[in-house]
Amino acid sequence: MSPSILPSPALDIQGVSHGFGAKPVLHDVTLRLHRGQFLSLVGPSGCGKSTLLRAIVGTHPPRQGAIRTFPMNRGSEGVAVLGPGRDRGIVYQQYSLFPFLTARQNVAIGLMLDETGIPFRFFRWPRWRRLRRQHLRQAEEMLVSVRLGDALDLYPHEMSGGMRQRVALAQAMILRPEIILLDEPFGALDEATRQDLQEMLVDLYQKNRHAQESGGMPSLTLIIVTHELNEAIYVGDRVVGLSQYWNWRADGHSACPGATVVYDKPAPVFDLRTQREFERFAAQRNEIRHVVFEPSSQYPRHQHVTYDQESGAPANA
Amino acid sequence: MIRRSIRPHTALALGVLSVLLLLAAYTALAIRQYHRNPDDTTIPRWNQLQKGFVSAIEVNKRSGDRWLVADALASGQRLFLGLGCGILAAFGLGLLMGCSPCAEAALNPPLSLLAKVPPTAALAVFFVLVGTGNNMYVAMIAFGILPTLAMTVYLAVKEFPDELLFKAYTLGASNTEVVWNIIVRQVLPRFIDAVRLSIGPAMVYLIAAEMVVGDVGFGYRIRLQSKLLNMSVVYPYLALLAGFGFGMDYLLTRARRRLCPWYQAAS
Repeated sequence: MSPSILPSPALDIQGVSHGFGAKPVLHDVTLRLHRGQFLSLVGPSGCGKSTLLRAIVGTHPPRQGAIRTFPMNRGSEGVAVLGPGRDRGIVYQQYSLFPFLTARQNVAIGLMLDETGIPFRFFRWPRWRRLRRQHLRQAEEMLVSVRLGDALDLYPHEMSGGMRQRVALAQAMILRPEIILLDEPFGALDEATRQDLQEMLVDLYQKNRHAQESGGMPSLTLIIVTHELNEAIYVGDRVVGLSQYWNWRADGHSACPGATVVYDKPAPVFDLRTQREFERFAAQRNEIRHVVFEPSSQYPRHQHVTYDQESGAPANA
Repeated sequence: MIRRSIRPHTALALGVLSVLLLLAAYTALAIRQYHRNPDDTTIPRWNQLQKGFVSAIEVNKRSGDRWLVADALASGQRLFLGLGCGILAAFGLGLLMGCSPCAEAALNPPLSLLAKVPPTAALAVFFVLVGTGNNMYVAMIAFGILPTLAMTVYLAVKEFPDELLFKAYTLGASNTEVVWNIIVRQVLPRFIDAVRLSIGPAMVYLIAAEMVVGDVGFGYRIRLQSKLLNMSVVYPYLALLAGFGFGMDYLLTRARRRLCPWYQAAS
């Protein structure tokens, strides 16, 4: 099954390089995401997955290269990422929730921070109180939709890891960001909870497709960083491998200039009705393991970067 | 077996019993002393203690005021003003240092130095800088508790995970909102705990200074009456100080539970 082709771009990463001190981490990373795409980012530890994610969030700008997002109302030119913004939500493995807020307050705080400022909340508090009630109602609806209707008033430390990550997703999604970034979101969870949450993402993907089939714009683009290849193939419709193991000598470097995109291919799309058969993508899993994770792998960097040809989308500019 | 749990009733009974035992031992000691020397004032019996307490709260013929009222007003004012100034300054400084690397680099060295100077030893400095009277005590208490409190806030802010900061920014928070709505709320319970711990030192500084240069206040009265061996006045004063410390601690703990219900179990 080939993934859907969406002409409208959501995120454009152009020639991003980064390093810490003299140690290069990322080398010339170029990626273009289409609206509605769920991209899985995999790679050996230390390859700079998190660095790339931070660059996209905008908290740690890259040394070289540019990242642009394409908010719906801002034309087709895109907007350069200069810092964190509410169009890009993020969920971390831990520390996504504010420990001093209940589940409901944690979800509502995005609305509060986004829609109001301190002077408003301070000087016009009768109006703020009314608005706050509305925010809490919205947060409640959001939590009910991630099946947490009976955990509204629990503090993060009173919740299980899976519940916390559900709240974190609700917290990120209530602002309807165009891009959601997940940094190993299910890494600390047990297998059953993990599957449950993966299915939640697959469900979101299906909603995207339905929106698109009925002529609308898919609302959510997602990047998930994971070290679990099954998860990457199951959740994403596209798997990108970032790796420091590639044939950089052929590119004229005398030392490894950092990790770059060495693998970029479509992944099969699932829906919740089909059985999860990991055997079905054993071949892809082995290929990724071989190309991305094998320290001795010496493939030219573009050999396995074939997403655009295979999906028929326009090539990267 | 070690650490085998006991019933709550047993625990309570044991606590009450040990306090009663302490009081009984004191009573026995006082009675023995009375039989040795009926005029002794070093280990007063309960009725002597009562007389001493009454003499502290009735109008004194010579000075024309009530000792306890005058002392409590003077010491209380000094203590609360000193604590208030110290707490406010420490919270501001700690936040500033935790949030701004510039302030951190500039303020860390002087604060570490200041923390090593015993405030009572520096009493003369405050005397020279802000003059005699209440200002001197207030400045001493404030500067005495400031370094530790500011450090606590600063370290608590530094410990705040980067991820949560970034999270707040991706939810559309401004810098002020990150400080006011996120960091302050996170740091508050630890700050309240630090304030609880700083009340003890603040009292030590104040009493010591009053003993040296005071003409009214708890420290002054305790020193004077100790010199006269009027332990029947000294003991009630000590009991009042202990009660005050307990009360403040209780109130602050209640405030923390009320303001930060999430904190107890999370730590």
